[in-house]
Amino acid sequence: MGIVLAALALAVAAGCGGGQSSSGPVTLNWYIFPEFSGAFVKSAAACSQASNGAYQIKIQTLPNAADGQRQQMVRRLAADDSSLDILGLDVTWTPEFAEAGWITPWPQDLAQKIRNGTLQTMLDTATWNGKLYSAPFNTNTQLLWYRKDLVPNPPKTWKQMIAMATELSKQGKPHYIEIQGAQYEGYTVWFNTLVASAGGQIVSDDGQKVTLNQSAVQALDTIHQLANSPAVDPSIGNQMEDQTRLQFEAGRAAFELNYPYVYPSAKADVPDIFKNMAWTVYPTVKEGVPTHVTIGGIDLAVGAFSQHKQQAFDAIQCLRSPQNEIRNAVLGGLPPVLESVYNDPKFQKAYPMWQAIFTTLKQASVRPKTPAYQSVSLQISYTLSPPTSVSAKDLGTLKSRIQDAIDSKGLVP
Amino acid sequence: MNATPKQRVSWGAANVVVVLIAAIPVLWLVSLSFKDPSTITDGSFYPHKWTWDNYSGIFDQPLFTHALVNSIAIALISTFLGVALGAMAAYAIARLDFPGKRLLVASALLIAMFPPISLVNPMFNLWRTLGIFDTWVGLIIPYMTFSLPLSIYTLSAFFREIPWELERAAALDGATPIQALRRVIIPLAAPGVFTTAILVFLYCWNDFVFAISLTSTNNARTVPAALAFFTGASQFEQPTGSIAAAAVVITIPVVIVVLLFQRRIVAGLTAGAVKG
Amino acid sequence: MRLGAVADAGTAISTGRPGRRPITERARAERRLAWLLCAPAVAVMALVAIYPIVYAIYLSFQRYDLRFPDSKSWVGVDNYTTILSSTDLWWQAFGVTVLITVVSVAIELVLGMAVAIVMHRAIFGRGIIRTAVLVPYGIVTVAAAFSWQYAWTPGTGYLAGLLSSTAAPLTHQWQAIAIIILAEVWKTTPFMALLLLAGLSLVPEELLRAAKVDGATAWQRFWRVMVPVMKPAILVALLFRTLDAFRIFDNIYVLTQGSQNTRSVSILDYDQLFTALNLGVGSAMSVLIFLATALIAFAYIKGFGAAAPGQELER
Repeated sequence: MGIVLAALALAVAAGCGGGQSSSGPVTLNWYIFPEFSGAFVKSAAACSQASNGAYQIKIQTLPNAADGQRQQMVRRLAADDSSLDILGLDVTWTPEFAEAGWITPWPQDLAQKIRNGTLQTMLDTATWNGKLYSAPFNTNTQLLWYRKDLVPNPPKTWKQMIAMATELSKQGKPHYIEIQGAQYEGYTVWFNTLVASAGGQIVSDDGQKVTLNQSAVQALDTIHQLANSPAVDPSIGNQMEDQTRLQFEAGRAAFELNYPYVYPSAKADVPDIFKNMAWTVYPTVKEGVPTHVTIGGIDLAVGAFSQHKQQAFDAIQCLRSPQNEIRNAVLGGLPPVLESVYNDPKFQKAYPMWQAIFTTLKQASVRPKTPAYQSVSLQISYTLSPPTSVSAKDLGTLKSRIQDAIDSKGLVP
Repeated sequence: MNATPKQRVSWGAANVVVVLIAAIPVLWLVSLSFKDPSTITDGSFYPHKWTWDNYSGIFDQPLFTHALVNSIAIALISTFLGVALGAMAAYAIARLDFPGKRLLVASALLIAMFPPISLVNPMFNLWRTLGIFDTWVGLIIPYMTFSLPLSIYTLSAFFREIPWELERAAALDGATPIQALRRVIIPLAAPGVFTTAILVFLYCWNDFVFAISLTSTNNARTVPAALAFFTGASQFEQPTGSIAAAAVVITIPVVIVVLLFQRRIVAGLTAGAVKG
Repeated sequence: MRLGAVADAGTAISTGRPGRRPITERARAERRLAWLLCAPAVAVMALVAIYPIVYAIYLSFQRYDLRFPDSKSWVGVDNYTTILSSTDLWWQAFGVTVLITVVSVAIELVLGMAVAIVMHRAIFGRGIIRTAVLVPYGIVTVAAAFSWQYAWTPGTGYLAGLLSSTAAPLTHQWQAIAIIILAEVWKTTPFMALLLLAGLSLVPEELLRAAKVDGATAWQRFWRVMVPVMKPAILVALLFRTLDAFRIFDNIYVLTQGSQNTRSVSILDYDQLFTALNLGVGSAMSVLIFLATALIAFAYIKGFGAAAPGQELER
């Protein structure tokens, strides 16, 4: 019995960690995903220094996957945790966090500063009910990557791309069109891109009603065409961004729709394939109508229960200053949200495809803005899975399920 | 054991088959951990391009080393406490008569059956209030609690099988129930106790739900939770090589622990064979 | 016969209350000891587990969506009806879970018994064999699942290559479920094997030798001598394995994320609680999962009867 008590005491003693640090600059906890290159660490250090003792930014790493990040933050915010000062939110979370009262809207004067020079679509993701709730931090969007040894002239529309790939398959050459069709968020992004490119949107602007119409039918048709052509990768139903990248690097594909990170990766991994790798803007759904690729990225928000809101607002403005944005882009592969940075020679050197990215970002689309977004997304990817089973007939089911998700009715897949 | 040569060969072959089936997926992980990232998709079982980068990478940052230490310490302490408490209760259930026995056994099972995912939110709130969130104690307590049913059931099943005569003989010799427990029962219960210890250890070792919900820094994060923080060369890249390397590294302490404990099982077996 | 019974019978004094016998000193000491021994375990379980469980049950009768914190309200059994009336999600997941549970536990029992016997009769390197067999159980579940996922991914994996070059088994419901069962069986057969081995060690050699001398075949020795003695061990192994299999989560989460209708009830519950942040429905689903596992446990204990812990002892 004594041993048991001793062991328990030992455990308690070990558990009691060090005490709070003494008074000094305010510690701002920055909850953000693990950034491998250390760019965020450098930014945090630079900004802490520049604050002249007003604050110290301490990075609190979150899990690698977006879902894990959201879980960790939601759990603590629902418990009114005051240690959450700066939050790195995925672009789709702002309406949810704002509605639940977990983040603080920016004061008018500071909001104006944030808006100046920032990409419009990113600002759209950060706004809810007319107020700016978060500050765009970095962004991302997909391009069409292709093998210029197999495809001399890149396609402009999905129809053309599928036809080219079918032709290649008849010649026995690598012909897959790599796209993310697993039952997850990336599939919703694909669907949203197609709907937006056909001129529509999934949910109304106030996030209350589903608005799928003819544009959705076109989107479903496009998926149907791809999935039933020789161009489709047999594992499309299990593919996320990384799997499609690996397939392209393995030389099995002629086209790939993916984020710019695949470029430096191919350069390092497969020089042979890399020398034939070219890029262009995402294919359109309708000939002549520009495509509206769905945007991704991170917005920075201030926690509603933070004890140091003023310092947090200041820190965020520093973290997204042009120098830091360039560093994030060059070291960390995270495209910037400030338009001015796109003209910076350092940035352009690291991103040969900067023109295509910028064009895409200027006409990008956003995912449905609603506090129930997670449920909506689950219903979309659930109804449309696997891609091989998709057809225009799914429209009715899709509409009713999305509306249920918005109203928080029923179960979520 | 007087086995014919033919029997020895067939049992020997069976041994080899069992080891192979257990080992092949593990060898695949080892192979993945040594594969250069550019060859991950080559579909071959053996790496064509070898690299130590995955291993050096996981030790570069404190995340993994701290997680290893946390995992080992928390699992060992939880196992020790859990088996100790479980053994005492199991002895009472198996050998003694008292009111409320059925209720205890049923509630222990109830606790083992309730899905832990719906318990982490209230537990998280409670732990934060008590100040044990993100500490070793914060994980040891749920691990102990939720492994107790398994301990109690397993141990009482083994205690039941120990012949009653031994205890009576000890009582006749003048030993108190507690002395009978220590001198007679425990040596015979060794196989059961160490079996339970291994199972409880591995339960704590493998747990993900509590680890990811009740920790937030390197202070107490264990390996399964730490794997969720591994990052590839970019946001989208899956850190296959790193996870494979980490899996191999964390299997080593398990192998050591098992090797140590399994000798006790053998000792217990030979002791059990000499029963009067 | 209970220890105190002999003494009790000898002091059968009526106390005026039907069916009540005075407790002897010995029996009182026994009870005190028993409560003393159980107290720490009971205290830990009661203090730690009761509050969260009761809170979860309480939440199951509420409409409580974390995203809309102002609309928390009492809704009675509404959450339960929502779940039970969902054929394409809840009952589908329930069916998948039952299938995976039954098949994997059956396979594990047979294989586990076989492996236990092989380990028992190890010819060489007992330690190595036992360690090798336990390693699958010792690898962190998500890492092992990861290993399987890559093995079955076309192009990347050595197993997918054994099927046709375009086979993607993880994208088809039945094939994916088969892979999930394979991953489960590989991972947890050692658990069964270990418990059965320890049970096997309690089988007296003399009994087996005597049976052999009497002319019993290996099969008869197995069924008539080994299995009856091992019954308690088999029950514990089956019971806990079934309860765990019914709540399968990690393997499915890594292999398919529950897509293509391979989700289990635990994955569905996870989605309600952590993705939809619908704590009311999620807690109700947890209670339903708990009731299902309770039913299983009850069935086992009734079926195994006297072999269950806490039953009347033979002394």
